[in-house]
Amino acid sequence: MNWKIWSLKKSPWVFHVNAGACNNCDIEIVDLLTPKFDVERFGIKLVGSPRQADALLVTGVGTRQAAKRLQEVYRQTPKPCVVFAIGACACGTGIFSNGYHVVGPVDRIIKEIDPNAIIAYVPGCPPKPEAMISGVVKALSAL
Amino acid sequence: MNQEELNNKLLEIKDKLTGIERKSDKRIYLLCEVENSYAVNKFLFEDVGCRFVIATGIDSDNCFEVLYHYSYDETGCVITIKAFIRDRQKPAIQSLTPFLPAAEWIEREIHDVLGIDFKNHPNLRRLILADDWPAGVYPLRKDLS
Amino acid sequence: MSEIPQSLFWILIFPGFLFTVVLGLVASWIVRKTSALVQWRVGPPLYQPFVDVMKLMGKEILIPQDAQRTVFLAAPIVGLAGVLLLSTMLWRITIDPTRPFVGDIIVAIYLMVLPSLALILGSSASASPHAAVGASREMKLVMSYELPLVLAFVVVIIKTGGQISLAAIAGHVPVFSVSGILAFLVALLCVQAKLGFVPFDIAESDTEVASGVIIEYSGALLAIWKIMQAMMLVALPLFLVMVFLGGFGTAGWPLVWGIGKYVLVLVLLILIKNTNPRLRIDQAMKFFWGYCGLTLAIAVILAAMGNFYHIGWL
Repeated sequence: MNWKIWSLKKSPWVFHVNAGACNNCDIEIVDLLTPKFDVERFGIKLVGSPRQADALLVTGVGTRQAAKRLQEVYRQTPKPCVVFAIGACACGTGIFSNGYHVVGPVDRIIKEIDPNAIIAYVPGCPPKPEAMISGVVKALSAL
Repeated sequence: MNQEELNNKLLEIKDKLTGIERKSDKRIYLLCEVENSYAVNKFLFEDVGCRFVIATGIDSDNCFEVLYHYSYDETGCVITIKAFIRDRQKPAIQSLTPFLPAAEWIEREIHDVLGIDFKNHPNLRRLILADDWPAGVYPLRKDLS
Repeated sequence: MSEIPQSLFWILIFPGFLFTVVLGLVASWIVRKTSALVQWRVGPPLYQPFVDVMKLMGKEILIPQDAQRTVFLAAPIVGLAGVLLLSTMLWRITIDPTRPFVGDIIVAIYLMVLPSLALILGSSASASPHAAVGASREMKLVMSYELPLVLAFVVVIIKTGGQISLAAIAGHVPVFSVSGILAFLVALLCVQAKLGFVPFDIAESDTEVASGVIIEYSGALLAIWKIMQAMMLVALPLFLVMVFLGGFGTAGWPLVWGIGKYVLVLVLLILIKNTNPRLRIDQAMKFFWGYCGLTLAIAVILAAMGNFYHIGWL
């Protein structure tokens, strides 16, 4: 197997992006990174800059204001990288479907600038930290 | 002052109000027209000493309403001032920001989404709508397609 | 002419680059695992730091448009060169004490500044306001802890009667004396700041300035920074052991003792790291200039008195 992909699977560094979320999913992501769930065993580390990240944890339905910024952050993440759409809103706009400010779920915004982006979906409102861990593990083993 | 004294104090500006509703012991609504809203707000904030909580904008049947919510912390009473704006073509109301700096951002938000003009507002720029949202389109109005 | 391949072997394989990198990554695993155990969790497996570096090598390098390209690319390499030379020198002196040169403690102090300087240069060339804040904080921090660090070594030089060659200093154990203990504690905290550990990780504070100094680095350049930090984790405690705790043996019982001393210093660093919050930059400056400076002034006076009146334990 490609050594790049193998080492990416063993050490995915995450960066959290809020693209117009109600903060519920953000709170669950921060819970996930506390010592109780211990994601450091999988090599997952929270980094402070998208340039050091391998996985973007995107929450929130993509609002008009956030769409351009999300694309900019995606461009600043060195490839290969994985985008995780966390929560019902990020997977498919959730309850905000017909809102005036909604530009589309996260995968449509990302695929606009990179049709070959790798996107994984973790539904839930908000998804439990255990669900997020299981989603990350499944996504990484499918790489 | 306790609740009874508060009730008596509120009667001082009765001439500027069109009605006082008491939904419960600690929940009072003061109804007024748009011309008097500045004076009533100033009275509640400065003379009675209430704390400004938040403001609400409503697109009603035949008018716009701007509600200002205050909290009287000593008794836990919440007082709301309902200002009716009858002019639906060009809704406008006096801004509270000159004496209440806390109202600056919420008035900007109401202006963004409902299109109510706040006169004498020092900084009526776009707050929550996206940068490329067309000007003059107010999303929370009922007649928007 | 057989000097050159031999020197290249020393610098690149053993005890230079390869050896120190492997040892440094194992040391950084020890730090992460111990921190995890202190927090009642499991922590990463042994190969984790190696996989981290490997993964970083495989990612693309992004350089910001407005960045100063030459300095941006050269800064991590300069820092790596500084640490590489320092660790090679220290290991050579440990393994083969008959070939020192006089004044090598001064060279060691000089080389120790290079990584911090490279960090400041690299972040200044990054054209990012976060990096600029990180760079200014790192500069203030370096100005604060360099003087106490050098003064601590001066205490040791006084105590050993004016020796400035590392091999000779490594023979003594200055820590068994009042001024020695004070100097050792201050030097330990200065090393904590140099390594960028809490409570002094002000420059690279994740949550405050979004990774501060290395915010714009990605891919192989970031891997070089991580390798540099791992190598500093070997070189600096080793330096402390040689100067204060009586050196590192090379065979048999002294070797085990030496490893024990190195692990002791590492554990002290980890424990301080895990039990303290991060300081603000002005608190850190006050700490180093005020408390550490005062302590070291007392230590220098005690050491000079002890030397003059031949009282060993002062």
